[in-house]
Amino acid sequence: MKTKTFDVYLFIAVIILVIFGIIMIYSSSNIWAIYKYNDALKYVKAQSLFLLVGIIIMIIISKIPYLNYYYKANLILAICFLLLLLVLIPGIGTVRNGARSWFGIGSFGIQPSEFAKLGLVIFTAKYLAKNDYILGRVAKGIWPIFLITLLIFLLIMLQPDFGTGMVIVLSIVALFFVAGVNFKFFIHIGILGVLAVIGLIMGAPYRLLRIISFLDPWRDPLGSGFQIIQSLFAIGPGGLLGFGFGHSIQKHFYLPEPQTDFIFSIISEEFGFMGILIVSFFFLTILIRSINIALRTNNRFAKYLVFGIIFQIIFQTILNLMVVVGLVPVTGITLPLLSYGGSSLLISLIGIGIILNVSRY
Amino acid sequence: MFQRKVDKRIRLVNVVLFSLFIVIILRVGYIQVVEYEQLNKLANQLWNRNLPIQANRGIIYDRNGVVLATNLTTTSLILIPSQITDKELVASKLAPILGVSKTEILKHINKRVAMERVHPEGRRLDYKIADQISSLNLKGVYLVKEAKRYYPFDERLAHVLGYVGIDNQGLSGIELQYDYYLSGEQGAIKYYADAFGNRLNLSELYEQPQDGINIMLTIDYRIQEAIERELDNIMVHFNADQAMAIVMDPNNGEILGMGSRPTFSANNYQKYATEVINRNLPIWATFEPGSTFKIVTFAAAIEEKKVDIFKDTFHDSGSRLVENARIRCWKHGGHGTQTFLQVLENSCNPGFVELGQRLGKELLFKYFDLLGFGQKTGIDLNGEGTGIIFSLDQVGPVELATSAFGQGVSVTPIQQLNSVSAIVNGGTLYQPYIVKRFLEPETNSIIQENSKKIIRKNIISQETSDLVKYALECVVSNGTGRTAYVEEYRVGGKTGTAQKVKDGRYLEGNYIMSFVATIPADKPQAVLFLAIDNPKKTIQLASMTVTPHAKKIMIDILRALEVKKDDTGLGKQYQSFERKYYEVPYVIGMEIKEVRPLLSHFQVEYAGSGNIIIDQSPKAKERLISGGKIRLLLGN
Repeated sequence: MKTKTFDVYLFIAVIILVIFGIIMIYSSSNIWAIYKYNDALKYVKAQSLFLLVGIIIMIIISKIPYLNYYYKANLILAICFLLLLLVLIPGIGTVRNGARSWFGIGSFGIQPSEFAKLGLVIFTAKYLAKNDYILGRVAKGIWPIFLITLLIFLLIMLQPDFGTGMVIVLSIVALFFVAGVNFKFFIHIGILGVLAVIGLIMGAPYRLLRIISFLDPWRDPLGSGFQIIQSLFAIGPGGLLGFGFGHSIQKHFYLPEPQTDFIFSIISEEFGFMGILIVSFFFLTILIRSINIALRTNNRFAKYLVFGIIFQIIFQTILNLMVVVGLVPVTGITLPLLSYGGSSLLISLIGIGIILNVSRY
Repeated sequence: MFQRKVDKRIRLVNVVLFSLFIVIILRVGYIQVVEYEQLNKLANQLWNRNLPIQANRGIIYDRNGVVLATNLTTTSLILIPSQITDKELVASKLAPILGVSKTEILKHINKRVAMERVHPEGRRLDYKIADQISSLNLKGVYLVKEAKRYYPFDERLAHVLGYVGIDNQGLSGIELQYDYYLSGEQGAIKYYADAFGNRLNLSELYEQPQDGINIMLTIDYRIQEAIERELDNIMVHFNADQAMAIVMDPNNGEILGMGSRPTFSANNYQKYATEVINRNLPIWATFEPGSTFKIVTFAAAIEEKKVDIFKDTFHDSGSRLVENARIRCWKHGGHGTQTFLQVLENSCNPGFVELGQRLGKELLFKYFDLLGFGQKTGIDLNGEGTGIIFSLDQVGPVELATSAFGQGVSVTPIQQLNSVSAIVNGGTLYQPYIVKRFLEPETNSIIQENSKKIIRKNIISQETSDLVKYALECVVSNGTGRTAYVEEYRVGGKTGTAQKVKDGRYLEGNYIMSFVATIPADKPQAVLFLAIDNPKKTIQLASMTVTPHAKKIMIDILRALEVKKDDTGLGKQYQSFERKYYEVPYVIGMEIKEVRPLLSHFQVEYAGSGNIIIDQSPKAKERLISGGKIRLLLGN
């Protein structure tokens, strides 16, 4: 099979989004950055470095034949496991925003959970592609993969980072669905899921508060409903065209850390509904181009791999946007490609690099 | 085959993801369109900070444009705690200037509020202090304009004007009654702030304050001044408990003057007892009217044709028996045989018992009712009293007899005056009012004008009205009101002396002396009510206490209303203890010795040197009391 050039539309859509992301990180973070570090460009500088490195890595990865991951899948997953364990050890992992999710290197941070996302997709794609027969034998083939997924989920929940955990679990379930796993299995994990949610709420009552505040944020506007209300105060007044670039008012300390989870609110405030349509257009372009790549390839591993990666990116996007517009409770998850956060950006770009590589065949 | 199944499922997931995206976009649209207004309003409430700019309160004028209540511009201190970076510094700088402790200022700065007034030390600052503060240029420390209400005449007309609280809100009188018009609308400098309250460099909005509407009263300050002066004199001369006066235009119900003692300083009302500042006696006080009430009985009897005041006579033996009660006349031994005109002139109680009996209780009390007794007059001031009139089923022969001459009923001064107004204006009862016009604050052009409001018409006929007016003039020229007689003018009036009642019993030696006057008597342009509550160290007769003071007010009313001199009226009947008036002759240019015989009635005082008169005071043709002083300026 001879190599072609990669999917240019996908590449351009991603580049536009990440550059727009840098601009919006500047606009949304500069007030806080001056307040905290007396440096308006504090966040932009860090993110730009990641972006530069990320784009280079993406291009390099797009040239590495994807089959390498097929052969190294077990190793990749093992490394991810190790990192997830290490990050929990005080002294190695550092705590930021209440979660022990980072390996700190100077002012940069690496989140192993982000890498685990990709590692698990590669692993799952491999075993689904390798053994057709396991699909029919849920007990022997599917449950072991699912148990590994749950294990990773639990490790991530120890940090805790519920949002990333959710994305991982659901992306693996989606892969099972696509691969044609017996329907009974989904009913079983559905029941398991409900039980897990109940267990999680019992374990950490703040999650229940988040659910309640999602149903009626005005009940406690200064407490649990605070973030949703502040987000709505950014989106609502933005109207059709927004206040214009740099003119957000909510970023003036009303919305905490607006460059991360709630960057979409600031985009809405500054660019209005039109801005949202354009951003959505690029995300949907990425979705559709990637799905097309998955459909076009005849290699089953590649098909699962591309699907798994794009599902994670888009599902995380949807989850973040639904939080921001008040459709689901606050989960604490960033907007891929746009939010501030080095590891997240890096992993997203690596994932896109893999998809681009698949598009060459 | 297997691959196609996988692709189908991928497409299905794709559709689901795509749909979720559409849902999100629709949701954003919903927030930005449907919920826009609500969210925008709430968000702006969150972002906006206001520096208030007080509106000027409407100015209150008298009917001729004399300013009765106005505003002084002062500055007040406002702190915006979130903008103050160095709290210690600000506190230590402000404390000595304001004369308060540093900890006190720190307490204000540390409050978790958007804006803090330093109350009261930081309000209504002296301009020197304000200058000092503004020269410090402290961040988060603002000086805002604040208007302070100022009453140039201070305790004059205080009860009518009322007073305002620290936030310029009307608390009593006109200030309260018309607060809605006077207060205007506060303006503001609106700016956007961040979550810590710091001002953002976004557009600022200046909202001009809307000044309050100016109000012109029906009060004539010249008349008011006369009232206030005489009330002061009364309090000094008689050491009275209370005193009160009202002047009203009987032809429309406009109040020309209203005052009472004790009064208070409207600029410093906090220093006075609440009973003093809240009781506007001319409309609040209720008391037994006594003889001034006889005007009502008199008018009713004439209207009902129960008496011919010139021909019918009445013999007063000094008392009259009604059932088992002996009703005495104030004059020991009685007035003998009199016409009913003389009955009024002499204020003879048994004569009024006779009139009351001729009318009967239904008719007499019908007139009480028609003339507004027992009901509020509806004047546009707060705190009006109602008074008490017997209900018909309570009225026996004794009650009928005493009510006819003003005992056993309770009225307010404004009711008493309003009923007399109706009687002398031809029979129309007006609703008294005190606000004449509402004026646009910038131009003083008229926005709205109050006009007379008729409560009831044709209560009595014009003929009856004319007869009563004549009778009242007679009272002043011949009767108990003689001490109110004003030379060369026609005035009418009626005195009243009523014993005060406490806990259902009459108090010994404690009277309310009152006088009602019509000015001028033939075509009244003003009616006056003046009352003294418990004058001391004096003859307990209205003619010796209240009437002389009423006369002085009347002279000023005549002057203010520019009433022409008129000596076609009834001459005054002199009694031995009263002095005569003589016309002053023209003596300028004469020599001293020529002048002496001409001025024999007067006491002459010379000034300057020479033997020719070059000026005189009073001028020729003025009338001067016998023995009065005339000054002559001499020259060569």
